[in-house]
Amino acid sequence: MSLHPTSRDWRLAADDFLRGMKSWQIWTLMGVSDIRQRYKRSRFGQFWITLSMAVFVAGIGVVFSLLFKQSVAEYVPYLAVNYIIWTFMSGVVSDSTTAFVQGTVFLRQENLPKTIFVMRVIVRNLIALAHNIVIVPPVFLLFGVVPDWGIFLMLPGFALLLVASFLVTLLCGILCTRFRDLPQIIANLLQLAFFITPIMWRVSQLDGRGWYVTHLNPFAVFLRIVTDPIHGKVPELYDYGAALTVIAVLTAVTWPLFARFRARIVYWL
Amino acid sequence: MAKSNVLPSIELVNASVEFPIYNARGRSIRSTLLQRVGGAVSTEADGVTVTALRDITLSLRNGDRLAIVGHNGAGKSTLLRVFSGAYEPSSGAAEIVGKVASLLDITMGMDPELTGAENIILRGVFTGMTIDEARGFIPEVAAFSELGDYVNLPMRTYSSGMTLRLAFAISTASTPDILLLDELISVGDSSFAHKARDRIERMMDRASILVLASHDAKTLRKYCSRAVMLSEGRIVADGTVEEVLEAYGIGDDGDGVL
Repeated sequence: MSLHPTSRDWRLAADDFLRGMKSWQIWTLMGVSDIRQRYKRSRFGQFWITLSMAVFVAGIGVVFSLLFKQSVAEYVPYLAVNYIIWTFMSGVVSDSTTAFVQGTVFLRQENLPKTIFVMRVIVRNLIALAHNIVIVPPVFLLFGVVPDWGIFLMLPGFALLLVASFLVTLLCGILCTRFRDLPQIIANLLQLAFFITPIMWRVSQLDGRGWYVTHLNPFAVFLRIVTDPIHGKVPELYDYGAALTVIAVLTAVTWPLFARFRARIVYWL
Repeated sequence: MAKSNVLPSIELVNASVEFPIYNARGRSIRSTLLQRVGGAVSTEADGVTVTALRDITLSLRNGDRLAIVGHNGAGKSTLLRVFSGAYEPSSGAAEIVGKVASLLDITMGMDPELTGAENIILRGVFTGMTIDEARGFIPEVAAFSELGDYVNLPMRTYSSGMTLRLAFAISTASTPDILLLDELISVGDSSFAHKARDRIERMMDRASILVLASHDAKTLRKYCSRAVMLSEGRIVADGTVEEVLEAYGIGDDGDGVL
């Protein structure tokens, strides 16, 4: 069994991607149904997403501002924005482990583009993000935070985050379908990543030490290019460079893997 | 009916389907697998492989009505899944041209928490409709499945008969180029079953290529013109339905269940 994709493999992978993108109605509908289904019979429905985020931010915000000796007015907006973006990132990664396994019934019966199931994961998490983001304006209003025009710099950062999310979901989706121990490992690593990424704490609290923790950690890089503009900072060029490097490496790994093993995914289900 | 100017076709050349069983080790598993699936099981250095289909070469053209016969585990369902494009052969080639409807699992993707109408839209979009087109299908599907006002209630409130009727109505709403059936679906009480039979026959008539796997000799004689017999994943007989049924041990007018 050769590990090199044939020219036919490359062509079919590209075809899968194009057909997958064209099927936006399918993955939008699937993503929406996923969220709807999860909260179908509850009174608050999908606003439980918002509610639990608000409770977390309020609780942790108050305690950690004391712990870190920062004012609540400064700390809570910082935490809210960071934690919301982190929730999106970690949601994508943890959902990616079941991207294809979840679509077993469809994949076994029909010739659907595999990328549909990747986009479904992204859409599902974007909807959750949309529900979480609504707590940011009230928090900013409450603590008198006024963002400047620089906030729009979050858009290119978010676009890069989406590209990386697609690649990570495809990569983890394939690997986790084949290696069923991987989801457990990833769940563990995500827990660790939450603590070593400057979500609850600030880079400045490290007093210049541990550069590698905050700059070689891809979660930290993507977190900053999205949240720095919201916190009123212009992201460092380093962060954009690092984000693009991560995307380049992910592409170089994921695309050949997808081309080679796209047709095998359904055999592993 | 073919909508594009390219006629629908199915072309399999030396197609094999081999499933790696990564977590299976040892003889005990090997023997249980042998009991469960008729396919040949072989142990290699990297684990157990189930060969569901072996060197299948088959060509289907516009107008072909193919019957697939064989014992349980002979590879009938796997072959249908290769025809649907879901399984790309692990070796050999399969080229499928045309819009496929595979009615192997008619409840595919239906969600009990969603209403009947929402399920109709979801399934419609899977068959290539836009959301608006699928919405347009709701009255027709709801009427056929005799759901009445239930169409706006979550599917979990349906009786199992209603669920099946809905699934059937959705699955048979579109007209594919290539129609794949695993046994002739029969749903509902006698009056509905009659209606359903008419509907699926109409769908079969319109399809350019029909593939039907069945154990029922009468059904196969009625709908098919050509047949292949599978055994342990290989085609062991190929010819007219009568020839193949004879090879299978059912003579001229035998009505038997295979």
